[in-house]
Amino acid sequence: MESPQNIKKRLKSVDNINKITKAMEMVVATKMRKSQEIALASRPYAFAALDFLATISGLEQKLPELFAVRKVKKVLFVLVSSDKGLAGAFNSSVFRKFELHMKQDERHPNEEKLYVAVGEKSFNYLTKKGLKVLQKFTSVGDFTTPEQVHPLTDFVVEGYLSKKWDRVIVVSTHFRSALKQEPHVRRVLPIDFEHIKETVQQIIPERGKFADLIKEQEISFIPDKSKLKEYTIEPAPEKVLQKLAEHLFFIQVYHLILEANASEHSARRMAMKTASDNASDLGEKLNLQYNKSRQSKITTEIAEISAGAEALS
Amino acid sequence: MKLSVYSLKNILFQGQALLLNCKTVTGEITILDNHETLITVLSAGVIKVVGEDKKEQFFPITSGFLEVKPNNEVRCIVEQ
Repeated sequence: MESPQNIKKRLKSVDNINKITKAMEMVVATKMRKSQEIALASRPYAFAALDFLATISGLEQKLPELFAVRKVKKVLFVLVSSDKGLAGAFNSSVFRKFELHMKQDERHPNEEKLYVAVGEKSFNYLTKKGLKVLQKFTSVGDFTTPEQVHPLTDFVVEGYLSKKWDRVIVVSTHFRSALKQEPHVRRVLPIDFEHIKETVQQIIPERGKFADLIKEQEISFIPDKSKLKEYTIEPAPEKVLQKLAEHLFFIQVYHLILEANASEHSARRMAMKTASDNASDLGEKLNLQYNKSRQSKITTEIAEISAGAEALS
Repeated sequence: MKLSVYSLKNILFQGQALLLNCKTVTGEITILDNHETLITVLSAGVIKVVGEDKKEQFFPITSGFLEVKPNNEVRCIVEQ
């Protein structure tokens, strides 16, 4: 049996791990709540923007370039992951989904594939696989701000308009509830009304504190034409539509990243919870072992003493 | 008029207002009650809102959209 001193040492380190993971769990739990609140705060905005689009899209005219479906020659993949590890299966599940998608995508071998990494981990993953990463967007911190998303969307839109790629696909995590996150593959460009609507509606998690906020807000894309004629649109409608299209694309990407943020925090919380549970289990076992080994040492000592006393008498 | 001003981070204003003054790409405009329906793009500047209690509120913005709807309803989405 191991000596009591050794066990005591191990017991101490397990205790420390327990304390650290517990503290991390607490910290990350508040971060998760906050990131959910941030996502929800932008919901009225997103809905207003969608409604806007619905109104303008009723005007009979050419849709801006961002809506146009072109022949696909080059595809841009945006992989969204975290900057830091210790988040359980959060990153690996995104990468698995990505690999699965790539396998299915082998049916179109003529398409050239380009990659953009969001988060340090996905950059490491892509470079490890030997794929060329066009650009990486990292160190966004715990909560993504709109200012941090602009470089990414500007880069993507600029490349799309100058025909560097004809389709943009985002692989990110969908936050279903605090306990359940799923990796998702979404096409963000060319813009599709239904896709944006779906993203906006998914802002509210299915279960948990915010779940009861769900109110069916139906937005139809068949606006009333007679009403539309009364609108004065300044400057020209196509300019407004162009601006709005870029904006909606930005909102969609922003939400995808916010969702990935919330998922990261809840995945990390779960990972920390299991870690601290395991640490307390291990601590209990070690404690038992320690007591046993101490007891057996005492027993041998007593046996020795009594044997010595017997020999004397 | 019923006015709502939304930003990505929060709701800046929601409720009854007397006046809304903002800069658009074609010039500065002021919106009062029963304005004609309008859709326009806002440019960087300060939005001034006068609430029902005659209190003035100012919001700096970098860009945004403005929509005046038929039923005396005004909606802004802005970026700060």
